[in-house]
Amino acid sequence: MLALRLVRGSRPLVLLRRLMVAAASAGVGFLLLCTLGHALSHPGPDHTGSSALRLLWCLAPLAATVQLAAVVARTDPTARPRPGLSAVGLGPARIAAVAAASSALSCGVGSMLALLVFLHLRGDLTGLPFDGKAAGLLAADRPLPLAAVLTLLALVPLAAAAATALTLRPRRDAGARAGAAVKLGAGSGGAVSGSDPRPGPGSGSGMGLWGSGADGVGRNSAAGSPAPAPPVPASPPAGLPWGVALTAAGLAVETYASRGTGSSRPLPLPGHPEIVPAGVLAGWALTALGLALAGPGLVHLCGFLLQAVRPGAVRLLAGRTLQGEARRIGRPLGVVCATASGVLAARTLYTGADAAPSFGPLTGLGAGLVLACTTATLLTVALETKQSRAPLTQALVRQGAPTRTLRVAALLRALVLLALFAPLTWAVATLAAAPLAA
Amino acid sequence: MAVPPDIAPPDNDVLWARSLHHTHSGSPALTDVSLGVRESEILAVTGPRGSGKTTLLGCLSGRIVPEQGEVWFNSVPVHTMGALSRERLRRDRFAWISPEPDLVPELTVWENTALPLLLRGEGHRAAKATALEWLERLDIGALARKRPAALLQSERQRVAITRALASAPTVLFADEPTAPLHRADSVHVLRTLTAAARSHRTTVVLATNDARTAALADRTVTLLDGRRVSSAQAEDVEGRAACSLSV
Repeated sequence: MLALRLVRGSRPLVLLRRLMVAAASAGVGFLLLCTLGHALSHPGPDHTGSSALRLLWCLAPLAATVQLAAVVARTDPTARPRPGLSAVGLGPARIAAVAAASSALSCGVGSMLALLVFLHLRGDLTGLPFDGKAAGLLAADRPLPLAAVLTLLALVPLAAAAATALTLRPRRDAGARAGAAVKLGAGSGGAVSGSDPRPGPGSGSGMGLWGSGADGVGRNSAAGSPAPAPPVPASPPAGLPWGVALTAAGLAVETYASRGTGSSRPLPLPGHPEIVPAGVLAGWALTALGLALAGPGLVHLCGFLLQAVRPGAVRLLAGRTLQGEARRIGRPLGVVCATASGVLAARTLYTGADAAPSFGPLTGLGAGLVLACTTATLLTVALETKQSRAPLTQALVRQGAPTRTLRVAALLRALVLLALFAPLTWAVATLAAAPLAA
Repeated sequence: MAVPPDIAPPDNDVLWARSLHHTHSGSPALTDVSLGVRESEILAVTGPRGSGKTTLLGCLSGRIVPEQGEVWFNSVPVHTMGALSRERLRRDRFAWISPEPDLVPELTVWENTALPLLLRGEGHRAAKATALEWLERLDIGALARKRPAALLQSERQRVAITRALASAPTVLFADEPTAPLHRADSVHVLRTLTAAARSHRTTVVLATNDARTAALADRTVTLLDGRRVSSAQAEDVEGRAACSLSV
């Protein structure tokens, strides 16, 4: 199987990213199986609502894991069309299929791990410590329905494979975009055909884009590139007003929904009406969506401000790079911002009131999964950005740009993003927590 | 080292290389190449693909440290310099033109042209003035505010040449600067380059595998399989239909 062979030959960092996907998938699989255990041990129509609620809460880590899997597949060097593989008939479409298979494979390994741990904690598999420690909790006295287990465990691999295939599918307008990338001459398009981020001494960028483009193979392979760096957009990303509006609307909904107490609240959630009313959750979801939408615009704004007045080389390079990469890096940054503000607000909820709900291990696992996955996604996207800019960095070094200048520019980018997004996260978290703490 | 370091090369050579040997992780690239580059001359390095032209230019410009041999620039040994000093040397005294334009896609044309000056620490205003002046001089002043993506390939290559010239280098290394261009554009670009270099007395080391390009140079050095030869000619006619007796 080609996917396995490609995985076996990968570098350690690539394998580490795949392991992260597998671990996240294992976590989500375990959460899903625990939901199944809860449903098994609480049969009857009275408990349907609470079981469904638990299942719904699994959606957040599931979404984070699927996002991570898609981004990892996009960053994977094996998922880029290369002239060599394209020449033997492994074009963009089949590469996408191979990448989807690899994603399903890593997530499947994670799911199997989750099943083993689950069975072990139930007491079905013996011979290790913690045998059947959670037998009561996980309904060990009842037989496990095979179809339900398989359905739940197949959820993550299937969703990850679908997301990967969707991300890497050869797009119809990719030809035009790749053409534009080829036109750039330097930089972004070069990463597509010369897929190795660390070319050896013999395959410098002199052999890169134009070297392979001369015979047409390079351009054809670039035409279906999975993660083509988009040509520098002339206009800033358009999502900023929508994002700000959605964030504000979300905060307003949340404040409105948290008035009153108990069942007098609008839209009470079945199960825990006192703690988190559904309106508050809807508000949070709106806020998170707004932040994710506003992310690219905010990053673009950062870049614009950074290079604004009479920039020197460092500010010019840092600012323009931020503006150019805003679309790619803004979305995951907004998601991380939303997650962090949600966690901050939830901390207020769990520590503030006297009727604070208990913070169980599964809640902790879910929250940790979401945080870890979104952060890992952001780091992976940052790595992808760095890889796609590697030819440009080499070109700058050829021009005599000191490596120190380039490092300072990268540091400056990170600092400016931190300076904007850290206060933003804090502000959104404070606003979101204000009605809950009252 | 065969020569003690206190014996400096002759004074009229701005760049001087002696018995360079280099391999790319085992594959031989340069074998015993020596040459001198005189001040304000245009030296063409010719040879087919894979003959070691780019490696030679890399060694001369301090991007690659040769495994054996010496490189001197104005009586200063380059091969013994540290990475930082070589970087400074490249930034302050050398310029490099690649086969592809290597422009930063996010920067406008004049910003790309001014980038080496900005990297040297020049002020924004002075760098902009110099860049615009050079763009006017090379007849692409009208493109100054465009992004590289909006230009034709030949225009981009001329921007790359302007960028190299605007930093007023002592030595300009041009590695097949016309490789991706059609012939008409190629002639235009080369004329621009050589005319500007001659009028500003810039030394140019030009790698090319095109005989017409080499004709514009003052002197030609030919490489074949990593060695310096008097002329590159196909010696083996084996397998040619005219010579084959086995038909």
